[in-house]
Amino acid sequence: MLVVYVVIWSSAVLLGLSAVWGLVWAIRTGQFHGLREGAESIFDDGEPVGTPTDFFPGAARSAASASGTKAGAMEEKWRR
Amino acid sequence: MASIAVTKPAAVDSQELLTRVQTDRSCRQTVLIYYTSAVFWLLLGSVLAILASLKMHIPGFLAEWEWLTFGRVRPAHLTSMIYGWAVMAAIGTLLWLQARMGRVRLPLPLLLPVSGIVWNVGVAYGMIAILIGYSTSTEWLEFPVPVLGFFGFCLVLVIYASLVMMMRRKVHHTYVSQWYIYGGVLWFPFLYVSALILTQAPHVNGTVRAIANWWFAHNVLGLWLTPIGLASAYYFIPKVTGRPVHSYHLSLLGFWTLALFYNWAGTHHLVGGPIPAWVITVGIVGSMMMFIPVTTVAINHHMTMLGQFGHLKTSPTLRFVVFGAMSYTLVSFHGSLAALRSFSEVAHFTHHTIAHSHLGVYCFFTMMMFGAMYYIFPRILRREWSSAPLIKVHFWTTAIGSIIYVVGLGWAGLVQGWMMNNPDIAFMDVVKYTIPWLESRSVAGTLMSIGHVVFAILVWRMLRGDGAEQQGPTLFTTARSLRAQRERKARARERAKGVA
Repeated sequence: MLVVYVVIWSSAVLLGLSAVWGLVWAIRTGQFHGLREGAESIFDDGEPVGTPTDFFPGAARSAASASGTKAGAMEEKWRR
Repeated sequence: MASIAVTKPAAVDSQELLTRVQTDRSCRQTVLIYYTSAVFWLLLGSVLAILASLKMHIPGFLAEWEWLTFGRVRPAHLTSMIYGWAVMAAIGTLLWLQARMGRVRLPLPLLLPVSGIVWNVGVAYGMIAILIGYSTSTEWLEFPVPVLGFFGFCLVLVIYASLVMMMRRKVHHTYVSQWYIYGGVLWFPFLYVSALILTQAPHVNGTVRAIANWWFAHNVLGLWLTPIGLASAYYFIPKVTGRPVHSYHLSLLGFWTLALFYNWAGTHHLVGGPIPAWVITVGIVGSMMMFIPVTTVAINHHMTMLGQFGHLKTSPTLRFVVFGAMSYTLVSFHGSLAALRSFSEVAHFTHHTIAHSHLGVYCFFTMMMFGAMYYIFPRILRREWSSAPLIKVHFWTTAIGSIIYVVGLGWAGLVQGWMMNNPDIAFMDVVKYTIPWLESRSVAGTLMSIGHVVFAILVWRMLRGDGAEQQGPTLFTTARSLRAQRERKARARERAKGVA
């Protein structure tokens, strides 16, 4: 019984402390500053903001041919 | 079918592309093992689900074999779906997301794939034990205690890999999805171990067991599946539409309030039960406080999607993820209100609860994982999905099936509750009333299972390499995205001119 108490209480306290530590760490290392850059941190030059990255197979090709834009033409050229 | 063009690698910063390709490549073995196993358990869980559902309105169906009786098939369905499908899909997704967001390679290239196999052995052992009659009979914890050894081994590795990726990450900022993942990864092992001690230790008896049981069962959804599901939504919605999260402030507030309040909510499952009233009241207060994180998430997902709904037509990932995100809002608000005593007086111990749990684990979490898999599989295998029509069949069968399921049983449960509260109605009349709705569940379950089989076929064809191969390092850059990129550059030039 003593073992059960020790395990439960010590792990509950440790888990609580880890959350407090996480919050303190986040404030100290400036995780809550520069939120606009933070929101954009999942984008990069290859997949920048404004670029959709997922399509049904085949959808992009028809979109490209249908659009008849320069980009579509370029894409056709690369495919050939 | 060469559907999507590959841009010239030189067109964009090649170092970044190389990093992305390398991180995706480093995840291949591990994520594949976790994902394909998850799909296997999903199929097995679907078979068990249909068996259990049929037995509710055809009681004699397959009743002569004891290992196929309702009392065994039903927990086998639940554990197969939770520990086989949901947890394995969640681990695959969270490892890939962390590697992607931290721009680091996945560590432990040998041990993590092994952990996937060990997890499978654990689930298989537990499933056999349940079917031959060695369940612990504690809901959500039916696996025999030794399964903890298998799960513990894997979870330690997943925690270690997560911490290593956090230390090595190339991006200083901790994105909101990373917060959710770190939370989930640290909370779930603690939950599992402590609930196992509190329900299986010989010193713990009676109602205390029930309290620990429902604290655990509720928190598996709230502190493990929800963080991983929301981490996926916060990554995939912005990433697929190309639009950052609407309010990043709110998203962080949502994480910290979820961390603070969710853990308290579990005891609302015991409204009316023989436990101290204050324990239940604490659970109800916790459930009501959940309005804060859920509102932040709902606002964010809706506002990020506003004006972007056109992408639903073109992106398989987004369809599933948005369906999941909408279900999250619905299931959470419904759950908070259902925790109230006045509502529980009617809906408790009826089919309404089953509808609610499927709205959570299926409509929210499972659909979210389908969305994640549609995004991740092509990127780790560098291959296109083989068939757009099959993806659409998968989406519509699972979406319509789950809606029939939730609406049918949700309504039937309410009426069942009202009827049971009326002493003038005979119990058998209540039972007879529910039968057509139970049949509708079997229809819904069959529809969802058809979707799962279609998905399994797509995954099988993906593994066999049926889809168009992608050679260049830029995956899925399309004519459309190139056009958007060019327009953006033109706008930037104009802005620069304006400043000058």
